[in-house]
Amino acid sequence: MKLYAQAGYGPSEKINEGLSENIIQGAILSPKDMTKLAMTEKIQFIRGKFPKADVFIDPQFYVGLYAASPEINLGNIGDWDYFRHYTKSELEISRNIDNLLQTYFGEIADLNVTGVISPNIYISQSFDSREAVIAKNFIRQARNIIEAQSISKPLYASLVICREALQDQKEFEEFLNDITMIDERPDGFYVIVGSRSHEARSDIFHTDIIANWMMLNLSLSINGFEVINGYSDILTAFLGAVGGTAGATGWWSNLRTFSLDRYFPAGGGRLPVIRYLSNLLLNRITFAEKEAISAFIPDILNNLPHDTEYTAENNESGLPAPERAREILQSWEAINTLNQKLTGNDISKNLDECNNWVLRCAEAYGAIANRGLVLDSHSNNEHVEPLMEGLRKFREKTEFG
Amino acid sequence: MQRKPNLAEVNAAIPEAELLKEIGSGGFKIVYKASISNQTEAIKLVYLPKDENDETVLEENRRRVFRELDILAKCDSPYIVKLGSIEPRPLEIQSNSYVLYSEEFLPGDSLQQLLGSGHRPAKEEILELLACMLGAVQNLMQFRVIHRDIKPGNIIKTTLSDRPFVLLDLGLAFAVGGSRITRDSQKIPGTLYYIAPEMLEMNFRQNLDFRADLYTIGLTIYEYASGINPYARRQEDQFTTLYRIKNYKPKPLNQLRTDLPTDMCNLIDQLMRKIPALRPANIDQLLKRQEAF
Repeated sequence: MKLYAQAGYGPSEKINEGLSENIIQGAILSPKDMTKLAMTEKIQFIRGKFPKADVFIDPQFYVGLYAASPEINLGNIGDWDYFRHYTKSELEISRNIDNLLQTYFGEIADLNVTGVISPNIYISQSFDSREAVIAKNFIRQARNIIEAQSISKPLYASLVICREALQDQKEFEEFLNDITMIDERPDGFYVIVGSRSHEARSDIFHTDIIANWMMLNLSLSINGFEVINGYSDILTAFLGAVGGTAGATGWWSNLRTFSLDRYFPAGGGRLPVIRYLSNLLLNRITFAEKEAISAFIPDILNNLPHDTEYTAENNESGLPAPERAREILQSWEAINTLNQKLTGNDISKNLDECNNWVLRCAEAYGAIANRGLVLDSHSNNEHVEPLMEGLRKFREKTEFG
Repeated sequence: MQRKPNLAEVNAAIPEAELLKEIGSGGFKIVYKASISNQTEAIKLVYLPKDENDETVLEENRRRVFRELDILAKCDSPYIVKLGSIEPRPLEIQSNSYVLYSEEFLPGDSLQQLLGSGHRPAKEEILELLACMLGAVQNLMQFRVIHRDIKPGNIIKTTLSDRPFVLLDLGLAFAVGGSRITRDSQKIPGTLYYIAPEMLEMNFRQNLDFRADLYTIGLTIYEYASGINPYARRQEDQFTTLYRIKNYKPKPLNQLRTDLPTDMCNLIDQLMRKIPALRPANIDQLLKRQEAF
């Protein structure tokens, strides 16, 4: 299971450092946050310096239907010729999809990406919708168009779906039955599951969402597709356990959980406190919480190289936390390590490992509660039960164990 | 079989053949072993139901049978039974309508017969069976046809080295996107214990694809290897059986055949998943996996 940087605003040296330490194996670049010229240079740099690294561009066309909104912030996506506002009616005409794909593939052909992620719209309600039909047409038509343009790179179809769509089991399974039988097969899928807000942890850490996101990975991989999961963050290892090829996460909270609110800027606010990703807790806790808990549950520490940056003596600020730009390196390092622990070749064994890990996580939170420590709302154990139930439901639906 | 004619009546209607004996009979079909120009063939007589209130039914059924036989004639997989020397033709016996044709007579036993004799195949034989059935389904896919009735009784283990297993009976074959096979769109075709779970959904015809055949290949191999059909229970009513087909997870094959490679058993189990999207469906990849065991 590979881990990629989900790039956003202000990449500075983060991606380069992650790649040089091999705690990430590639990057998914964001047209919103980088000019086309800067992106071209970034790709050249990565490909030159890290030849084994994978580089993709997320076309971000899923905001195309909303592009006429006065509040939207499209950043640099407008640099791309293929991108403009479309209505659903326009996209119901297959010629328009063909033209859009032709333009996009023409633009990306010159960029030295590892594979081409093709554009798609956001399925914002249900798999039984006009949007889902349009999305399937994007997937079907991409193969023929890319071949007509003699682009030989692997093709990844975007599948960008709201969490609510994953909650309708019957429609989800029918959609899955459809896309696994598409004649014009892409080589893989770039899957994004959208939450109502990137701050709403319970949107993604929800039994149905976890179970069905995992099932999507299992089904696509069984059918010979690679699966790159965008914005998968801590769930990356769980998706890899059932066949996912890669996951991604980034340095801002809106690069860890996908929500369209990334394109609709909120008012200002304080920068969030620096956090530490504890693999045992499957969560990020504040550096102060880390200090307090590790005193009696040392296992919450990952004991990985970037842990040393969470000591007061190693920081000019005198606080046991690194500067903000380095927080992501600790996250990548932790998730990359978790990937190695939970993703082997045998899915049944992986699922047992995942289950045991979540049980240990629950025990650790139990021990914290027994000490009377109250964690902040982002650090608490809200995610544990959905993870456990999600794993159970996944096993039940997929007949594993 | 409904409206089964007697042997003498059939013999009289087929002067070019000498019927030797009846060798099989289903809901609408009867099969005779026959000698035609000193060659042994299987003669099939398919009864065409009619509806007194709708004259088009008979014609529709006749056309359907001819369509299926057209497809069979086009199939070139060695693992699908081939048509014989008697071209399909309509036949009337005592005011009942039939379609008559012949197929090659394959030397060997059906898997059903072998199961009954207590035969338990070794790994190599199971892999050979898997490869033959995948080849047959791949060929049917070219014509967008789903067999829908793959089961031990419809597969012959032959004595022919280049055709070790041959799939019979396209009687329930269904052209994807084509016309319906029965007058009742809710009626589930197939044999009870071998019905794919998705065929129990309302309006299943809209979404049915060849993965239903992959399911029955998996189930047939599971039964052939273990001697157990996980859905067949004595004295169980049909609704309970259907419920179990939809909801019951069979015991993993490697628990019943511990001598077989686990990965191979897992693959057979995967083919039997309830949700079609969870079955591996890329036949080229399946054949590669099969070769690797």
